[in-house]
Amino acid sequence: MNAQNIDNKPRVQKETKNKIKVDFERTPLKERLKAKFLSLFFLKKVVWYVFRLILLIGIAYIVLFPFFSKIAGSFMGPDDFVDVTVRLIPKNFSLDMYKEIWVEQEYLEAFVNTLILSGSTALIQTFICCFVAYGLAKFKFKGNGLVFLAVIFSLTIPHQTIQLSLFMKFLNFDILGIVQFLNGGGLNIFGWEYTNETLAAIDIIPDTWEKFVDGYGITLTNSFWPLIILSLFGLAFKNGLYIFMLRQFFRGVPDELEESAYIDGSGVMHTFFTIILPLSVPMMITVFLFAFSWQWMDDFYVSLFFTTNSETTLMPDVIGIPNTLVTEYAGQNLYYAAIRNTCGIMIIAPLIVMYLFCQKYLVQGIERSGLTAD
Amino acid sequence: MTQEIKVKAPKRRKNASLDKRKARAGWIFVLPFVFGFIFIYLPIIIDSIKYSFCKMVILGGGQKPVFESVGWYNYKTALTDDPSYVQKLLEGLADMVFDIPMILIFSLFMAVLLNQKMVGRAAFRAIFFIPVILSTGIMETIEAQNVLSEYMEEAEGIESGSGGSAASEIISTMDIEQMFQGMAVGQGLVEYVSVAINNIYNIVNRSGVQMLIFLAGLQSISPAIYESVQIDGATSWETFWKITFPMISPMILVNAIYTIIDSFTTDSNVVMSYISEVYNKTDGNVLSSAMAWMYFLIVLAIIGIVAGAMSAYVFYQKRD
Repeated sequence: MNAQNIDNKPRVQKETKNKIKVDFERTPLKERLKAKFLSLFFLKKVVWYVFRLILLIGIAYIVLFPFFSKIAGSFMGPDDFVDVTVRLIPKNFSLDMYKEIWVEQEYLEAFVNTLILSGSTALIQTFICCFVAYGLAKFKFKGNGLVFLAVIFSLTIPHQTIQLSLFMKFLNFDILGIVQFLNGGGLNIFGWEYTNETLAAIDIIPDTWEKFVDGYGITLTNSFWPLIILSLFGLAFKNGLYIFMLRQFFRGVPDELEESAYIDGSGVMHTFFTIILPLSVPMMITVFLFAFSWQWMDDFYVSLFFTTNSETTLMPDVIGIPNTLVTEYAGQNLYYAAIRNTCGIMIIAPLIVMYLFCQKYLVQGIERSGLTAD
Repeated sequence: MTQEIKVKAPKRRKNASLDKRKARAGWIFVLPFVFGFIFIYLPIIIDSIKYSFCKMVILGGGQKPVFESVGWYNYKTALTDDPSYVQKLLEGLADMVFDIPMILIFSLFMAVLLNQKMVGRAAFRAIFFIPVILSTGIMETIEAQNVLSEYMEEAEGIESGSGGSAASEIISTMDIEQMFQGMAVGQGLVEYVSVAINNIYNIVNRSGVQMLIFLAGLQSISPAIYESVQIDGATSWETFWKITFPMISPMILVNAIYTIIDSFTTDSNVVMSYISEVYNKTDGNVLSSAMAWMYFLIVLAIIGIVAGAMSAYVFYQKRD
């Protein structure tokens, strides 16, 4: 390096008519790499990167390990549970548990029934929640705040608090006493009852239907109707949360979109179905995923509405020890636990498949939601 | 005269102002919920309150059960006669006080981490949301009586000869205590951290939705703000406390309330599982309603206090 080139001027090497070759005085590669990789800044970045990766992998391990252990246990034969050397990898590989649960616990029937139940309720919930949330997010009307408060209220009340009255409601289902009125029971509005002879004379419901009409209402237990009715009115499990999430999402959608549609002569409903809904597909899939899997995994409402003598087999009925696998030996406790875990694996398997397909939308839904709490 | 008015009236309706028409459309949208809330949900709530003051008499022959009023009897029984209700109640509230800050801190930390650009971000996100979907309802019931997972986790314990299980006790409590003793912090904090770390599986499982809400909140912070503080030379530590934390504070409030609601409505909650247990006993269903309503009122009071206290510190970014 000589004195002339200290200001790093390009040095002309060769000049032709329309080409010029210049030579810069560059810092050598070694120096440049040194500056880049041996600085404190880079060190900090690497340390943070490694630390973050280890942390994330560690937590991912915590999340996934229970599933691994369940899957590992499900392939073990009965002898593996008394063998001290066997922990995670089975020695006597066997598929008995899967086979017996499939056959004896009527897995397929439970699967089909639960699929119909979860699919229908989740679809209804997604659409109803979209509807309500859009109304709350985009329209100013008297009572908007009150309705939103009611949504939050319905989310706050734990279902254990109302389980007895929920059951009684659907054991004798009646809205505003309409069924009771038609059946000759007089008036019944919010528990206020009134009857006289003329009212009692009204008996439109034929007596042949009496087996469905128990007392003064329709018996809906042991059917899918209670859950479908709750979904239709946005009152099912955690629907308040879905309405809240969707409301925040719709608030983030710019008003100009709808305004331009209105100016072009599109009605409110038309705008909602042709512009807003297609826009919110990732968010809707997120809500559908939640609604579907929470209904699939639910054992509270199912055990509440389907009494013990119900003929419908649903997912919670799958859990149990198949008769052919009942044994008496030292490892019995562990073996039964493994069987119950295998039931769990078989119950969640369809959800895992669905999750693999939908998780892309889940993440997308989050990114576009632009949730704000104002 | 009268005819003219008759003609005018529908005309005026047709030309209702835009605001009015929009208000009407809004009502149509929320109608399903409002209808269901007033005609199905409210009667259920009223019935439930009524039942908690009643005794259930089951008549034979498939007849509708009859409810007889017994006044405050169920509430008195729950508070004075029941052997473990009050104890469970205190235990449940103590758990809540312990868990909620932990879940909030953890989910915020994870959300910030998962919001950074890195390799495999989508995969990690997908893994961390698994518990939201899979660790509820039936799985929770199975997990509650699972002896197998503890057995399998002992695998590492045998090699090292300590016998402790791997995932339920990731770091031995001794190590943490030694580490903290040098730092001279209070014994209470040491215990809090060590119990939290050993409880991490539970916390990870319960912070899925919170993580989701935080992530969405982080996404809505304008990148321009970060860029400008970076130019001004702020470190990432400062950026977090001066920018991210205030901007995310409304979400912290939302999440705190959601966590309280979630933690007292899940089946794994001690009080709730005790209430379900009581529900299945004879004459237990009315008693359990009374218990649940008392618990609900207490939690409602807690939500009120937390929301009131936190909203004083929440920062709202002014828009327009």
